[in-house]
Amino acid sequence: MDDTVIRDYIARELVRDPSLLPLENSTPLLDSGILDSLSLLRLVVFLQDQFGITVGDLDVVPEHFATVDAICGYLRSRTDGSVSTAP
Amino acid sequence: MAHLLHHLLADSARLWPDRLAVSADDDALTYTELDRRSNQLARRLRAAGVERGDRVGILARKSGAAVVAVYGALKAGACYVPLDPSSPDERLTLIMGDCGIEVALADTANVARAVGLRRAAPTLRCVIGLGAGAGAGGGEPAEVETVSWQTVLDEGDHPLPGGGVIDTDLAYILYTSGSTGSPKGVMISHRASLTFVDWAARCAELDEEDRVCSPAPLHFDLSVFDLFSSCRAGACMVVVPPTTAMFPVRLGEWVEQQQISVWYSVPSLLTMLATHGNLRERDLSCLRVVIFAGEVFPAKHLSRLMEELPGVRHLNWYGPTETNVCTWHEVAHAVTPLSAPLPIGVACENVEVFAVNDAGERVTRPGEEGELFVRGSGLMSGYWGRPEKSRQALVRNPLQHAYDEPAYRTGDIVTLDERGAYVFLGRRDGMVKTRGYRVELGEVESALYAHPAVREAVVLPVPDDLLGNRLRAVISLEDEGAPSRSDLLDHCRRRLPAYMVPDEVEFTDTLPRTSTGKVDRVLLAASARGPEGS
Repeated sequence: MDDTVIRDYIARELVRDPSLLPLENSTPLLDSGILDSLSLLRLVVFLQDQFGITVGDLDVVPEHFATVDAICGYLRSRTDGSVSTAP
Repeated sequence: MAHLLHHLLADSARLWPDRLAVSADDDALTYTELDRRSNQLARRLRAAGVERGDRVGILARKSGAAVVAVYGALKAGACYVPLDPSSPDERLTLIMGDCGIEVALADTANVARAVGLRRAAPTLRCVIGLGAGAGAGGGEPAEVETVSWQTVLDEGDHPLPGGGVIDTDLAYILYTSGSTGSPKGVMISHRASLTFVDWAARCAELDEEDRVCSPAPLHFDLSVFDLFSSCRAGACMVVVPPTTAMFPVRLGEWVEQQQISVWYSVPSLLTMLATHGNLRERDLSCLRVVIFAGEVFPAKHLSRLMEELPGVRHLNWYGPTETNVCTWHEVAHAVTPLSAPLPIGVACENVEVFAVNDAGERVTRPGEEGELFVRGSGLMSGYWGRPEKSRQALVRNPLQHAYDEPAYRTGDIVTLDERGAYVFLGRRDGMVKTRGYRVELGEVESALYAHPAVREAVVLPVPDDLLGNRLRAVISLEDEGAPSRSDLLDHCRRRLPAYMVPDEVEFTDTLPRTSTGKVDRVLLAASARGPEGS
């Protein structure tokens, strides 16, 4: 499932505070400090490579990155719904 | 004239009582309000037993309440010690123990955490909550007295008597990375800080109409500018919400909406704003000065920024925490050629800088290299509790033999350009910059060595356009135990602030050695950069 891929990437590469693990699809990524300006940039690069899309500057906004669910929702809008999440 | 930092506030409250001093997300304070609230906090601190020279910790994000905390601590005669909320407990308690913090101020989100730090920082005896509702419930352990914000508001709001504070008393201690594995506290006096604060306000031509933003947190010395230079000028310090600062497009919109006129940050944030901030669509006509410091601004990104912001002054400020800003350079026109390093410039007021070559002579000709020294009233007083380290850093001025006078050895190698401006070339030692922060590679290595399965660890800087440097750890393991990459990173995250945690980890059986048996850092660095690196 694509949400698992994204969650694993964030947990493996970006989470600094182990007490925030395990990550849920609804874990806040911004208020919790999991993402900062530089880890956000890395995440964008990862999403582009992983899903073969270009994330435009105007798409890098809090609404699209607040949670793993929000990221999946954004990706679905960019990939005709082919991004899947676990039921 | 003000000779203590908090005199700036008293003066501005008299001159501009109704102008905004601080504007933050949920909080706006006029100069009168900031002055009165910080008087109340100073009184409460005095009641809690704080005296001249005591260290008061501040565990808070930048906010109106945090600014009240800074001025309240200073008015009580104390020196404030910022405690970074995003640092792990282990590092915070190390700092608290090092300088003996007994009383800490914490914002609403951090009161319970501050009280809990008592378990590993036994000097802590009182935590005062900042902001409505903060500290009302008490906390564990019970040895710590918890004082609510409401209790602070019950104090009188007229000024405290001076308490005998003089300009050479400490105003704050900022902890920076230390090579032997523990952070060291840079002690800055009121006089040293004001040397910078006064000059900076003039250099940026601040006045009461300005809206000044610096995203730097309190423990980063860039925050001294918006905390104090803004106040000196009667300007408004505008606090950027943390989430906004992460999203370049939103940050650009915010700078427009907030009518920011003066910006001060590390270059990486400006690079993101210039390359991803959609600035062409913004009306940034209020913005008149952009200042950057903390690391080298790559010329290609600076050119891009200057194209996006025509008609704006661009200032490059340089200086280690130990000296405040000591040199500056105004970037007069688009930087060409792209490969030439940007000068760090010439000395600020009341500061003298000079470079000394290996033969002990002053560097006077373009192209000659030497180590940069700084002297004057902006210097730190030393490192807290480390007389030996202080003597190594604040040496006798090598060019002046008539009397004993300190000069700070920066460890930075510089040269002069044709116009007499200094140009930074590199470091003498194992210190690197990443994300604008100083990192002693030895401190990261010490943290890695603390893991039982690590046999050898070397941390290398890998040059990075945006970050300045990425940190790569090369590790060989003991025969017992096989920690994963993420185990080791978790281990570091519990000990080090986030910016010091390695970005990459590489395992190897053995580390290459030089003929003298030392780890061959040059070889490792070359392979870290890869075949295309140079």
